[in-house]
Amino acid sequence: MASFTLLVNGRSQAVDVDPSTPLLWVLRDALGLTGTKYGCGIGVCGCCTVHVDGRATRSCSSPVSTVDGRAITTIEGLSVDGSHPVQQAWLAEGVAQCGYCQPGQIMTAAALLQTMPNPTDSQIEAAMAGGLCRCGSYPRIRKAVRRAAGGGAP
Amino acid sequence: MKDETRVGRREFLHVTSALGGGLLLSISLPACARPSDTLAPTVGPVPTLEGPDSFQPAAYVRLGTDGTITITVHRSEMGQGVRTALPMILAEELDADWSKIRVEQADADTDQVYGDQLTGGSTSIQTSYFRFRMAGAVARDLLLSAAAQVWGVDKTRCRTESGRVIRKDTSESLPYEYLVPLAATLPVPPSAQIDLKKAADFRIIGTRKPRVDGQAIVSGKAEYGLDTRVPGMLYAVVARSPAIDGRLADFDDSKARSLPGVRQIIPLDNAVAVVAEGTWAALEGRRALDLTWAAGPAAGFSSQAEEEKLAAVLKVEPRPQELVAYYVVPFYSHSPMEPMNCLVDARPDRCELWVSTQNPQALKRAVMGLTGLPSDKVDLHVPLIGGGFGRRLEDNSPVAFVFEAVTISQTLGAPVKLMWTREDDIQHDYYHPLSVTRVRAPLDTVTRPTMTRQETRAVPTGPWRAVTNVPEAFARESFLDEYALALGQDPLDLRRSIHKVGRPRAVLDVVAEKSGWGTPLPAGRGRGLAYHSTWGATPVAQVAEVTVDPDGRVRVDRVVCAIACGTVINPDIVEAQVEGGIVFGLTATLKEAIRMEDGTVQQDNFDNYPLLRLDETPTIEVHLVASEDPPSGVGEMVNPVIAPAVANAVFAATGRRVRRLPIRPEDILSS
Repeated sequence: MASFTLLVNGRSQAVDVDPSTPLLWVLRDALGLTGTKYGCGIGVCGCCTVHVDGRATRSCSSPVSTVDGRAITTIEGLSVDGSHPVQQAWLAEGVAQCGYCQPGQIMTAAALLQTMPNPTDSQIEAAMAGGLCRCGSYPRIRKAVRRAAGGGAP
Repeated sequence: MKDETRVGRREFLHVTSALGGGLLLSISLPACARPSDTLAPTVGPVPTLEGPDSFQPAAYVRLGTDGTITITVHRSEMGQGVRTALPMILAEELDADWSKIRVEQADADTDQVYGDQLTGGSTSIQTSYFRFRMAGAVARDLLLSAAAQVWGVDKTRCRTESGRVIRKDTSESLPYEYLVPLAATLPVPPSAQIDLKKAADFRIIGTRKPRVDGQAIVSGKAEYGLDTRVPGMLYAVVARSPAIDGRLADFDDSKARSLPGVRQIIPLDNAVAVVAEGTWAALEGRRALDLTWAAGPAAGFSSQAEEEKLAAVLKVEPRPQELVAYYVVPFYSHSPMEPMNCLVDARPDRCELWVSTQNPQALKRAVMGLTGLPSDKVDLHVPLIGGGFGRRLEDNSPVAFVFEAVTISQTLGAPVKLMWTREDDIQHDYYHPLSVTRVRAPLDTVTRPTMTRQETRAVPTGPWRAVTNVPEAFARESFLDEYALALGQDPLDLRRSIHKVGRPRAVLDVVAEKSGWGTPLPAGRGRGLAYHSTWGATPVAQVAEVTVDPDGRVRVDRVVCAIACGTVINPDIVEAQVEGGIVFGLTATLKEAIRMEDGTVQQDNFDNYPLLRLDETPTIEVHLVASEDPPSGVGEMVNPVIAPAVANAVFAATGRRVRRLPIRPEDILSS
């Protein structure tokens, strides 16, 4: 066990966990931030995506020791009231079906638009291709990212 | 869980007596009353009415003097939108103000107050449509009667609109919340005296109301089974044989016990549970177990050998002037994004569970049997489901892991969250069964082909979205294209000769027109048509447009789909289900397959059990063929149709016929 100080959603949080513990389980089990989801545990589905220093990061494959002191944003911290343009676009397009993968999809899209405010369709495809959705919400994810990028209906 | 999202069964002990088609009505309304901390309604000069502050005319709906209207949904939400669509149906007949509706999720109810809670077979809307309409209409009728009494006029001189009763002659109005205390004391009218609305008067049904859980989902606040927590909860994972139903011969847990955070190792039936202070410590503990497995009943089972065996049983010599073909569909895993899990707090005198299940009543009864506790000592809450597809439906499998959690919790004397990893889930699912289907038809006369299917039961199999409709549609609709070719007919014309009238014909005509059927495409591209009606409920037709590159790789460019599902409660949700059904079906068409060697599943995670990704997803166009027929189901109507549409399009593009799923480049090149 070891002590880490994590900066999560702007708050400093001390945790005492094994250094190999993936950030995902620290967020969910130790900090109670269950918006970040477990899907595969090997970084191939994207359900666990959070921002680390602004970059979309697979928290299931990020040992807590590698994110000590870095700025972590989870879906709960993207906005206080669901008003982030990506969240609003997701609602406007009715993207979610079961919704389980959507926090990861939204965090991926938000990081994309942070670095690339006006992505082309192929840039959207490339950025969002790593997020699996068994319900098949992909057509609406495409539309929602375009809507968030354009600030309105695509 | 938050209080507003669930209803304890005790609140319904006073909801008694059944009337007409299973509608359950409450007589003893004061027992449902609860303290209200809200303001009295403002109704001008009319004095406040005396009486209970809540009114529950049917099990599914409760109105409060605070203006809230609470609708209880008894089916499980797994993305199909049932928590939005069922309340829309009730709110329609109630003439409610939609913004006042709150939705509660029913606990598992073995007293059958709500009727059957099993969410499967695309039946939730079909079977609840009349019942929810009647519940809303009865409530509205009582509010009308109450207002008529207040005004001293006949009920026929009043009407309702968006949460108010309006007196026709004076245009005075009273809000529903004001009328609650009086309505709660009036006798419930028999359903035979209640008129339901005409479709032309619908103002909620047929609209694109946003999903009620949307805001919670996008802000990460939606609570799935895996997100439930209670104080003092510990975390468990279970080590089981990599082989299907393998036996535990021996184990050494000395290393696992010494790991930080690991609390206890609990041997189970052919499995070992590791309990820890967190999920990661439990997983590390499981990795540290030294386990020795022995062969189980599935030892030696090979999916390849099984397929050959099934094919051999079906093999026939074609008669003269006869077309015979064989189609293979592999084992599929459900692989919902949320893996199997449950939270259980089992104590000697009671048991409380949180399980994302499609079958809460069967599960509760099973837990009552296991623990010996009566119905009122077992509380089973149903959080949101992170994908179902049949995985959380069958009695046996959910019961097995919930039983493990009950045993663990009883042993610990503490609540426990049990989680299956992705690997556990893919390797220990009950699978869509491997099958071979033989289809045959004479060539000297045009007739419906005959189909015979062999499917394996040698390993655990169970319902997977649309169940047998998947191999049935793939075989019949692929064969019809082969048959049309042999007969020298256009595939669309052949299907039109089968489906001459009504909704089946309508969906064929719509996709033919919208897809540009018969218009030329560039070389390497092709168009394929398929039609199916799962369980005869909802006609669906699709045209897929594909590009096949010289290496045999298939890209689906465009899918046009028409669906005739009767009355559409919420077109946005239906369209989402259609899009999702096509994507789900495309994964089965192009990507996924479970293979077994020596009784062991060869896939274990999404790197070797790939799902369709966003950059592989075609443009999808959905056409709803409207009618005023009762709603007939959507969830499992769409996914069976896409595989034959794509296989037929591959043939149109290449002249090569693939009769096996998933469609792989090597099968196109070698056919």
